[in-house]
Amino acid sequence: MVAIPMQINVNGEARSIEADPKTPLLYILRNDLALNGPKYGCGLGECGACAILVDGRAVRSCTIPLSAIGDRQVVTLEGLASGEELHPVQRAFIEEAAAQCGYCLNGMIIATAALVAAKVNAGEADIREALRHHLCRCGTHMEILAAARRAVRYAQSERQAIATPEAEKQA
Amino acid sequence: MIRDEEQHGSATPEAAGLLCVYSAGADGRIYLSIDQAGVVRAFNGHVDLGTGIRTSLAQIVAEELDVPFSHVEMILGDTRTGPDQGATIASETIQVAAIPLRQASATARAYLIDKAAAHLDAPRDRIILDEGVIRGSEGENWNIPIGDLVAGENIRLEIDPEASVKPVSSYRLVGSSRPRVDIPAKATGKWTYVHDVRIPGMLHGRVVRPPYAGFDHGDHVGNSLIAVDEASVAHIDGLVAVVAIGDFVGVVATREENAAEAARSLKVDWRPAPHQPDLNSPENALRANPATPRKLADRGNVDLALAASPQPMDRTYVWPYQMHASIGPSCAVADYRDGQLTVWSGTQNPFPMRRDLALLLDIPEDLIVVERLEAAGCYGRNCADDVTADAALLSRAVGAPVRVQLTREQEHAWEPKGAAQVMDVRGGLDLEGGPAAYDFQTRYPSNLAPTLPLILTGKVPPVAEVLQMGDRTAIPPYAYGNLRVTVHDMPPIARASWFRGVSAMPNTFAHECYVDELAAAAGVDPIEYRLRYLHDPRAVDLVRAVAERSKWVPHTTHGTLGGEGDLLYGRGFAYAVYVHGKFPGTAAAWAAWVADVAVNKKTGEVAVTKVICGQDSGLMINPDGVRHQIHGNIIQSTSRVLKEKVDFSSTAVTSKEWGGYSLITFPEVPDIDVLMIPRQDEPPLGVGESASVPSAAAIANAVYDATGIRFRELPFTPEKILAGLNGDEPIRTQTASRKRWWRNLGLSVAGSVAALSGLATMASPWRPAIPSIERPGSDVYSAATIERGRLASAAGACNVCHVGNDGTPFAGGRRFDTPFGAVYATNITPDVENGIGGWSYTAFERAMREGVSRDGHHLYPAHPYTSFAGADDADLQALYAYLTTQQPVAQRAPETRLKFPYSFRPMMAGWNAMFHKAEPFKYDASRDSQWNRGAYLVETLGHCSACHTDRNALGAEKRGAAHLSGGFADGWEAPALNAVAKGPVGWTEDAFFDYLRKGHSNQHGSAAGPMADVVKAMQPLPDSDIRAIANYLASLNADAAPDKAEAQREAALAASNAAKTEAARISPRGERIFNGACASCHGDDKILSSLALNSNLHANTPDNLLQALLTGVEAPAILAQTTGREAPEVMSMPSFRQTFDQRQLEDLAAYVRARFAPDKPAWDDFAAAMQRVNAAPH
Repeated sequence: MVAIPMQINVNGEARSIEADPKTPLLYILRNDLALNGPKYGCGLGECGACAILVDGRAVRSCTIPLSAIGDRQVVTLEGLASGEELHPVQRAFIEEAAAQCGYCLNGMIIATAALVAAKVNAGEADIREALRHHLCRCGTHMEILAAARRAVRYAQSERQAIATPEAEKQA
Repeated sequence: MIRDEEQHGSATPEAAGLLCVYSAGADGRIYLSIDQAGVVRAFNGHVDLGTGIRTSLAQIVAEELDVPFSHVEMILGDTRTGPDQGATIASETIQVAAIPLRQASATARAYLIDKAAAHLDAPRDRIILDEGVIRGSEGENWNIPIGDLVAGENIRLEIDPEASVKPVSSYRLVGSSRPRVDIPAKATGKWTYVHDVRIPGMLHGRVVRPPYAGFDHGDHVGNSLIAVDEASVAHIDGLVAVVAIGDFVGVVATREENAAEAARSLKVDWRPAPHQPDLNSPENALRANPATPRKLADRGNVDLALAASPQPMDRTYVWPYQMHASIGPSCAVADYRDGQLTVWSGTQNPFPMRRDLALLLDIPEDLIVVERLEAAGCYGRNCADDVTADAALLSRAVGAPVRVQLTREQEHAWEPKGAAQVMDVRGGLDLEGGPAAYDFQTRYPSNLAPTLPLILTGKVPPVAEVLQMGDRTAIPPYAYGNLRVTVHDMPPIARASWFRGVSAMPNTFAHECYVDELAAAAGVDPIEYRLRYLHDPRAVDLVRAVAERSKWVPHTTHGTLGGEGDLLYGRGFAYAVYVHGKFPGTAAAWAAWVADVAVNKKTGEVAVTKVICGQDSGLMINPDGVRHQIHGNIIQSTSRVLKEKVDFSSTAVTSKEWGGYSLITFPEVPDIDVLMIPRQDEPPLGVGESASVPSAAAIANAVYDATGIRFRELPFTPEKILAGLNGDEPIRTQTASRKRWWRNLGLSVAGSVAALSGLATMASPWRPAIPSIERPGSDVYSAATIERGRLASAAGACNVCHVGNDGTPFAGGRRFDTPFGAVYATNITPDVENGIGGWSYTAFERAMREGVSRDGHHLYPAHPYTSFAGADDADLQALYAYLTTQQPVAQRAPETRLKFPYSFRPMMAGWNAMFHKAEPFKYDASRDSQWNRGAYLVETLGHCSACHTDRNALGAEKRGAAHLSGGFADGWEAPALNAVAKGPVGWTEDAFFDYLRKGHSNQHGSAAGPMADVVKAMQPLPDSDIRAIANYLASLNADAAPDKAEAQREAALAASNAAKTEAARISPRGERIFNGACASCHGDDKILSSLALNSNLHANTPDNLLQALLTGVEAPAILAQTTGREAPEVMSMPSFRQTFDQRQLEDLAAYVRARFAPDKPAWDDFAAAMQRVNAAPH
């Protein structure tokens, strides 16, 4: 285990790290960058508690070696909001009270954020499939599903809001 | 430390301007404080386990005090000042622990009103406290915030048990849904869980647990450690300490990954764990467990009634071991300095744990501060206390704060389990179809599970205490005239403690299935039958309400809902009141279920499609909170009933992750309809567990309704249901084995010795040394030559074998296990002493072409000089130039010492005479230059055949048809590169190119193991060379063509898809492991190519699959970074070496073989494959 200096891009900022390149990214995010969003759940890529976005895709930071990140864009739960304004998926989860203990919440929000970005018309089956490998033990599934549906609606109305002025311009 | 003060502020009762309410007596504990800003801090000894009591308790305080909800801050489980209210168990926070808090609030309110009355000189009945402000009842212009009444004074009150509380009718806050106060912070990453505590100078610890995983009593406990080899981790950066006390072993390092690495690498010798009774089918073990019968009820004459019953029905119901399965493994931070201890803990029991820590460390309790922070939800006792004690021991050892994070495997293996339980019912019908008698016996092997480090260190003897915990809801709710209830109090077998529903859930499983069986036998609708014997009016109301809500259709036989296709539909009912605490206990909320199921008669899968659940909770403080608890209970208990069971080996728990212990997933979650009975005028009841309790019986009764078969043992896995439906057992297919060359080696060693001895005399065994030279200067070679050498080195992937164990290029030392013994790669840096710095080109060339070292000794053909012999002079010269201009490394690689007779190197001369042809590569004039370039690279510098060709008994590559038809390397099978290849899709030029260039072909999958290193090493080669190699290799696969390959790919995917059901039938446990552990990356529609395309699944042996599972696969990530390949996978496959046992690997292998290579026979002789793979270095 030899620590070497590296740079990674997290939540829009270049961050300097000195660590063994094999170190799981999760430890870097939590211990070196003090980001508490991603949580250690299994270390095996099974439960999704440590999910982050890498170039917009939801991945499990416990199984990503630091060396694999290169210049890809890493976004954690902390990086979803723009300033004081919450990400619509975060808003949806808060409004639906979609947490009991909340330990899995990071993964649920990240997975939903990736889903709504990739598929604006995501239906019930898409939502359940996107969350299939995200485990919740408290049984918050009903509230999480409601939050994900709400997040899809938010994404759709946002898309419409963007589309409408453009359409007007074209007209 | 990074923490939100607002989350965990603490009152300072001594500060100026504070009103505090304490419990009675000189040593009273604080329950409430109000400061001059009007901020209310309320203390409760119970903690929030994820249920939202932080919010509900604040509602109770705000209501009773008449202050705004936002002014109340809850401080839970604070050991410095807050009240000791025992462990947060039995759903009793609202029902029990909130009572003094409410009284404290009423006390403060009365005081404030009195004080305002005095201050304003107004009658008390004119004073109104409203939203934290004193006002007048007749519009007086008073406007005094309560903080003003406190300002400048220190007021100490005692809780007045007589202080009048508000009537429910005037409640405004209580009974209305309030958003949870914690969720916004949790949804933005701002909440501080115990896992997120960081304090200055904090080190990271990991523990290493003994091999008797999940068992906590017996003479071996605390006495199994033989030795800890500290040298085995001495090389790890930042290692601070290795600590061993009894069977407690831990490591501390400056960085978390280094602590984790040290815990994985630490060599610990343990005595073998003793054998345990079989807990996979726990009935026999529980019956054999020593027990003391305790009679809870005996009325009527049970024996007489049973003897007289015309239709006796004796039934046994079995509950498996289950686990809390917290999503976050437990974590704690401890800071032991100067004989004082502070811990940051997710404990359920701050006060009892403090007593444990005092005992563990031999310090007085009052020198210990427990800072309680939220952790991942637990539903009973998980490892939160254990890890706090672990951290305390490690912090004491190093004199610095230490954070300890348990691994997933440790939490699974060691958490105190929800115990198995066996319930026997003897009964039957009387002449009128009523219940003749009910003779109920229950066995529940559990206690409170002593904190693990206390036992591991010998502070507490490893003796299994017997507790009376099997009696929860042991009394059935029905008015059976002849009733006998006996609890067999018994010690635990596996480590066990309370888990949601405790013994009530299994007891209710028996009660509610049995009454259903009685109804069916009597030919009466199951709800109607229950109502005949259910006399509790609130229970009757609830049952009727739920029946109505579900549109229950009375029926007297099963099967009335029919089915379609392979599905059978059924509907079941169950009811329970959860009784907790010491017998006869306290009743929490009443709950009743109607469950709808669809049973697939072909696969045995049970889907719970809808649950209608009614609950009478009395007064609901926060109705939304109650609803969420009901949802949570329904989903969690459905998961437990359908899926959950802890697996054991003969010595330990083997369910150590989410494949070995599966939880319900989103697609399986049923529709839920919750009916909350309005009872706001009744006292509040615990709602944390009640809705779980009827689950198992409701689902079992629904499965009976669908199939006509009673299933009396959980969980309802497909194989269990299928066996019940078919009356047979799942089949494991067996097929004949195919032998492999080196397994026959034992037989041929004698022959090979004779052959080698004879040959040794035939050739010239002694070769002269070539004099050493001055190390060539680095300016001798042109940049172009060195560059050509760099590419030659890339083509030869020299650094894959010659890399130093610490990653230093060309430093040598890697060990290769061959059938003849271990061979170590040499140092090929230009170091004169240890490397090839003193080698002339002549010496280098002789080593490369003839396999003779500079000093004249023969090299073994692990160095593939048989391939290099054909290399162009210019390439070898350039390679020499490149290597001799690298950084010298003064490090000697271990010497290869083969077993006799192979240790006699001169014998290699005879070997060479037989097997080595030192001749230049022959170009084929009939082929184009690209093909020839590829052939040259493959057959000489690339030495592909060294791994991809089978070897004979003497370790020489076979010739003819065997060439590139598959071999072995480094414990991995190197698959055939020609048409003999086993994969379902032919290898086209493009596929070879993608694979070799990017480490991944979407028609085949990713490079792993040694091949991943080769792909990485070949990165400097230009695309044209990779293309040439691909062109040549594709020519060996004449049948492969792009359109054909695409068709083959689609056919393989379709076949695999069609094989799902059959594969699950062949290996149901394997399917669960795959779904839980593998499918998050290897499931359908994931970014990785389907395993159906991966040649390793189609190979003759599971060696490569096992290699990937045990060592992990790092390649895709490495390649993703450097090549930006089309599938931007950045995740690596983790190693499951410390996670799966052999049985799990075998189950998984059986499943993936049947699922992804359905046309291939099942792998046999799995044990031999395990042995081979384990023998390979890792």
